[in-house]
Amino acid sequence: MTNHNMQSPTQPVTARVSLPEAKPRYMRGIKEPTREEWCLGILILAGLIAFPFFDPGYRFLSLAVSTIFTAIALYGLSLQFGQAGIMSVGHAGIMGVGGYTAAILANQLGLGFWESLPLAMLLSALAAAVVGLPSLRVGGQHYIIITFCFCALLVIALTNGGTFTGAATGLDVGPIPGVFGIRFAKLDNMYFLCLAALTISIAVTFAIVHSPYGRTLWSIRENEPLARAVGINTNLHKIGVFAISGAFAGLGGILQTYYLRHISPELYGAFPSLYLALMIMLGGARPLYGPLIGSIIVNFLPELGGLDPIDSRIAYGVGLLLVILLLPGGVSGGLLSLYRRGTKTRHRLEKGRGLS
Amino acid sequence: MTQLEIRGLAKRFGGVQALNGIDIAIDGDGITGVIGPNGSGKTTLFNTIMGVHKPTAGQVIWDGRDITGWPAYRIAATGLVRTYQQAMSFPGISVLDNVSIGFEHGCDRAAPRRWTSPESLLGFVGLDGRGDEIAGSLSFGNLRRLGIAVALAAQPRMLLLDEPGAGLNDHEALALRDLILQFPGMGMGVCLIDHDMALMGAVCSRFIVLNFGTKIADGTPADVLQDRKVLEVYLGEDA
Ligand SMILES: Nc1ncnc2c1ncn2[C@@H]1O[C@H](COP(=O)(O)OP(=O)(O)OP(=O)(O)O)[C@@H](O)[C@H]1O
Ligand SMILES: [Mg+2]
Repeated sequence: MTNHNMQSPTQPVTARVSLPEAKPRYMRGIKEPTREEWCLGILILAGLIAFPFFDPGYRFLSLAVSTIFTAIALYGLSLQFGQAGIMSVGHAGIMGVGGYTAAILANQLGLGFWESLPLAMLLSALAAAVVGLPSLRVGGQHYIIITFCFCALLVIALTNGGTFTGAATGLDVGPIPGVFGIRFAKLDNMYFLCLAALTISIAVTFAIVHSPYGRTLWSIRENEPLARAVGINTNLHKIGVFAISGAFAGLGGILQTYYLRHISPELYGAFPSLYLALMIMLGGARPLYGPLIGSIIVNFLPELGGLDPIDSRIAYGVGLLLVILLLPGGVSGGLLSLYRRGTKTRHRLEKGRGLS
Repeated sequence: MTQLEIRGLAKRFGGVQALNGIDIAIDGDGITGVIGPNGSGKTTLFNTIMGVHKPTAGQVIWDGRDITGWPAYRIAATGLVRTYQQAMSFPGISVLDNVSIGFEHGCDRAAPRRWTSPESLLGFVGLDGRGDEIAGSLSFGNLRRLGIAVALAAQPRMLLLDEPGAGLNDHEALALRDLILQFPGMGMGVCLIDHDMALMGAVCSRFIVLNFGTKIADGTPADVLQDRKVLEVYLGEDA
């Protein structure tokens, strides 16, 4: 299929190419953020840092904390669903594994937040990998139903776990031990701790999406048989992305636990999981800020719109329908294409060719 | 230099005996054509060699190793790579990302690379300048080129092509012919399925004919096309 006018087709190059890269090993192949991406990131971060200084009041600041730890968990779902194309409605259950790991470690062994943090993330990752196993045999809606069942089973198990899980009443944890004299019992400081975790989550997500591993995940989403045909162990990478997704959920879950200082099974049932799925679809699963936007919309909408729980559910339902019909990439995807169209128009205007 | 050897390969789907004990040995340095009427088992042969289907019986020996029943990704990593009958790409991502995926996985990282970059490979198959386009928006002919590029990116030592010419216009078919003719010189054996006899006759040094899952002829194109059994299959009983 070479063009006929191509006199000398690219000669086979026999020497092994070593790519001249000065980057450290772990950064190799990761695309640098563009100037636009840096600007947007810094702008959003600055806005989030500034938020508590505008005196939002206790109610809004606590909503913001919830928004952020939920968004952290959603970054995991965005890798699994947005990049690798595998939806799950069991993500709250995985958050619960992280949260309960921390709460049980605190109650049984007296471990604090910082010691439990890696264990909670690890156990969540493991749980997510195990829940992901059926996805190697069944796909699509069938797998979604399995994840739904996982949540229901988890709630039953937690409710019947006796004093170990605190049964239906749940478990209490103490405050996060302070570091450098920063007390996390103070809501502002809790907010900044969550924000730091969110920043890391976004950076890690960016790195994954813009590395060869990101493309590997896309290949699973786009065409699994072809991915296998070019040598990709799709089963391994599916389980891998579930584990990564689970680690994010674990991080969100432990932050939630130490923010609420009390957890109980119903936090992690099928309904909260559906909310996470709702957020990722509203916000957009693929764009970098989709999870954050989705979490902001769903957490703040009832308060800002003065909606009671029933009204807000109706609003979510209508919103989801509208987004699915009008903005397949979610709200962030819509904003992104609007921006792209804007810059294109500007370029055209600058070139003096006018609109149309 | 026999590289790919198939011994008594059989595959049954429920009541359909799609492959019925096939023996073939394919050299790693030539272009072998597999022909046969619709439903004769050509695609099933590829799928069973490549780990998509588990064979009911028989063995696949590739490069001295018994790869029977290996998962598809592991076979691809040994340098045996296939394309699909339906032009298959990763439709939602850019053309360049499509090829990069093959580049980053595929076979034998130690083997010398034939192309220094995904861009140069795109140039080789005639898709230069299209790297930024979304694969799903390519024309049918270009999608076929991309399908081959994705497979080439995986650094095959033998390439199994399933009807690469289907649906191409005359000009594109000629370009495809020129492309395939270059593969043996690059150290790549080719096994090719196609119904386009002009293409097959121009590139293949050997024909294998399947009918109802059975190999009915195997030899040089001239010999095979005069074979009585082959003529019966293609022209009817009283040919
Ligand atoms: N996955 C499958 N499940 C059940 N039957 C199958 C499957 N794949 C192929 N078959 C059957 O096996 C037989 C051989 O089909 P195959 O696709 O290999 O033919 P082919 O030679 O590639 O035909 P064509 O030239 O039309 O592509 C057919 O009868 C087909 O219906
Ligand atoms: Mg076929």
